[in-house]
Amino acid sequence: MAAMFSQNPLMNGPHYATTDAPKTNNYREHRFYPYTDNGGTTLAISGADFTVMAGDTRHTAGYSINSRTEPKLFKIGGTTADQHDATIVLSVCGFAADGNALRDQLDTICKIYRYRHGKAMTANACAKRLSTILYGKRFFPYYVHAMLGGIDEEGKGVVYSYDPVGSYERETCRAGGAGGSLIMPFLDNQVNFKNQYAPGSGVGHDLQERERRPLLLNEVETLVKDAFDGAAERHIEVGDALQMFILTKDGIEEKILPLKKD
Amino acid sequence: MPGFDFSNYNRNAALHAQGMPLPKATSTGTTIVGCIFDGGVVVRFSAIPLRPSMNLFPHPIKPPLSMIAADTRATSGPIVADKNCEKLHYIAPQIWCAGAGTAADTEFTTALISSQLELHAMSTGRKPRVVTCMTMLKQHLFRYQGHIGAYLVVAGVDPTGTHLFTVHAHGSTDKLPYVTMGSGSLAAMSVFESKWKAELTQEEAVELASEAILAGIWNDLGSGSNVDVAVITPEKTTLKRNLIKPNEKVPKQQSYKFARGTTAVLNEKIIKKSEIGRYVSVQEVPLESDKMEVDS
Amino acid sequence: MEFGRSGALNEGKLFNLSARWMLTWVVIDGIHVDMNRLKKGEVNMAVTFKDGVILGADSRTTTGAYIANRVTDKLTRVHDTIWCCRSGSAADTQAVADIVQYQLGLFSMHSGKPPMTQTAASIFQEICYANKDQLSAGLIIAGWDERFGGQVYQIPLGGSLHKQSYAISGSGSTYIYGYCDANWKEGMEEEEAVDFVKNSLREAIKWDGSSGGVIRMVVLTKEGADRHLYLPDTNYAERHTENVSL
Repeated sequence: MAAMFSQNPLMNGPHYATTDAPKTNNYREHRFYPYTDNGGTTLAISGADFTVMAGDTRHTAGYSINSRTEPKLFKIGGTTADQHDATIVLSVCGFAADGNALRDQLDTICKIYRYRHGKAMTANACAKRLSTILYGKRFFPYYVHAMLGGIDEEGKGVVYSYDPVGSYERETCRAGGAGGSLIMPFLDNQVNFKNQYAPGSGVGHDLQERERRPLLLNEVETLVKDAFDGAAERHIEVGDALQMFILTKDGIEEKILPLKKD
Repeated sequence: MPGFDFSNYNRNAALHAQGMPLPKATSTGTTIVGCIFDGGVVVRFSAIPLRPSMNLFPHPIKPPLSMIAADTRATSGPIVADKNCEKLHYIAPQIWCAGAGTAADTEFTTALISSQLELHAMSTGRKPRVVTCMTMLKQHLFRYQGHIGAYLVVAGVDPTGTHLFTVHAHGSTDKLPYVTMGSGSLAAMSVFESKWKAELTQEEAVELASEAILAGIWNDLGSGSNVDVAVITPEKTTLKRNLIKPNEKVPKQQSYKFARGTTAVLNEKIIKKSEIGRYVSVQEVPLESDKMEVDS
Repeated sequence: MEFGRSGALNEGKLFNLSARWMLTWVVIDGIHVDMNRLKKGEVNMAVTFKDGVILGADSRTTTGAYIANRVTDKLTRVHDTIWCCRSGSAADTQAVADIVQYQLGLFSMHSGKPPMTQTAASIFQEICYANKDQLSAGLIIAGWDERFGGQVYQIPLGGSLHKQSYAISGSGSTYIYGYCDANWKEGMEEEEAVDFVKNSLREAIKWDGSSGGVIRMVVLTKEGADRHLYLPDTNYAERHTENVSL
């Protein structure tokens, strides 16, 4: 649970909000709980003509590692099982079994769309459809933080990020999962240049914000690697390996880089 | 004994009853181990202690040796609170303790017993014994019924021989030739159960204990970073801090240094160094010791 | 392994699953017992024979499903020829046994003679009854003294005291009530009594998943205490005294 719950303010130190915290009783109720948190972190950044999707490959349960090589990134909507001609990537973080079910469902829908219409789904259409799928399980949700990356009809990189029940938004960058709260402030600062001002451009409140510019692909790759190295240092559920998909108009390139394994 | 301050107990109990969660203590979600070995000297040896008081190594030519080891990760929930903390605690020159559980509890409990044991040693004029230490620990922990979350491995040499114990938070103790504790104890025990034997040289024993700790570091999320080892012989105790460092931080791909002036300054007030004492209390800091780790 | 209040070690199961229901009920009833401290299994027994008594136990200590100690010594000396089998919470029973050992040591120094088994059992009972709300300790006390020879006393959870010619306890004991009843004989010879204890414990270990490890025994007679050790390696057939490598 911690991946989502680590973003839960109740788990981050002492708190004084007493309304929504779970009540503790002296007796223990035994019941079936169908969700598990498998940890891990995902990250997506869109550029002018590319999108980078990234995720670590550690799959955990409690203090145990189930796998050091389990992908959280999936190519969606290709013509074949190996997805060699896919143009869209789905990333899922949280409960891995739900993530796999979601990936299968979305992929099937994309394939049926291609069969019926004789063309691939656009990223925009696929994004809307994913939202519908998630909301379809409003009262028994897929316990995942999903992100969708692709290239839009104008050739620009796109990233959509979702909550577990289908609320979504197009963003330039987003980090999700266990290390999401560690990486997101770094992205705000380094991708959107938040809290950075142009030196000498004014005094006090007249100081001008640093000018925003779209990042280059190699700059993004550097940020992604540094972000994951940092998260692996401080979050126990992040580590082992970093899987990166680089989406351009020419297709999808995959990179695997090492992360800390402790 | 001057004890704990319970003055907030009722307030906190009321808040807790309303649903406020307890504050999360730093835990040394941990791998700690200890083992006894003969140091390469041939002795008649019984691995199964016939009774707790029995020496594991009857009539040795030379007394056996003991050692403890630990990883160095401290966590607060899923976050790593300290990447290189010390879990090997001093009790007496020849008695050391590895601690798992709530970090503050292991720290204060070992410090308290260390202090009491030193006073006891001065009052009796004898060297402190490992059993005495173990008994004081278990009685202290039992009194607090598990609320003091200290899980300890106690090892040492005293005039009666070499001893190794585990002490659990509720106050129970075990005496065994090799022990493990903490969240990584299962991983570490699997190494001991397959490779430990009495006939080990000091180098082999250090290697074995390190391997047990490494099993915890790699396979248990609560454990990580480096390996600390302490070897206790009748002659001396050797603390090998950070004996193995298999998790050095990878350097950043680029510098994140900001140009001077990047941060907005809304207000400026200059205080002369000679007047700083008016605003804060000033204390001399020792130079260069234990520098905080920061990115350049 | 979780480290919190739930990590208590337990030697000897006082309760099996169905008994945990009882505990739940007790908690609701306002008697506060930490349920997590009561999970474990084991088998203990003590029997009288012609020349004294024999105590026997398995050696398994568990925390949940993990065997924290597979060669535990649950047979604890409280005086030279008065011993006890501990079952329940390891911490509680060790604390109680330590107190009784101290009291009996003091008693024998004052009186200049060894204490009687009954005296030891009474001290145990006093502690177990007075602190019944806080303790999960099930004990069998067995000893030999000059006046009464071999005697066996049992103190179950509430702190009552029962003198018996033999006693069994722990989760594994439920498997051997019939065996013991069918094979028990008053006034056995030592060798026969050792076999009775050993074979009973073997059955309990065989059928009870939470009992296991080695079989330890103590024979208490006029001659003092004699320790036995039997290993599963040899199907508990040979007696080992020392120098056993794990």
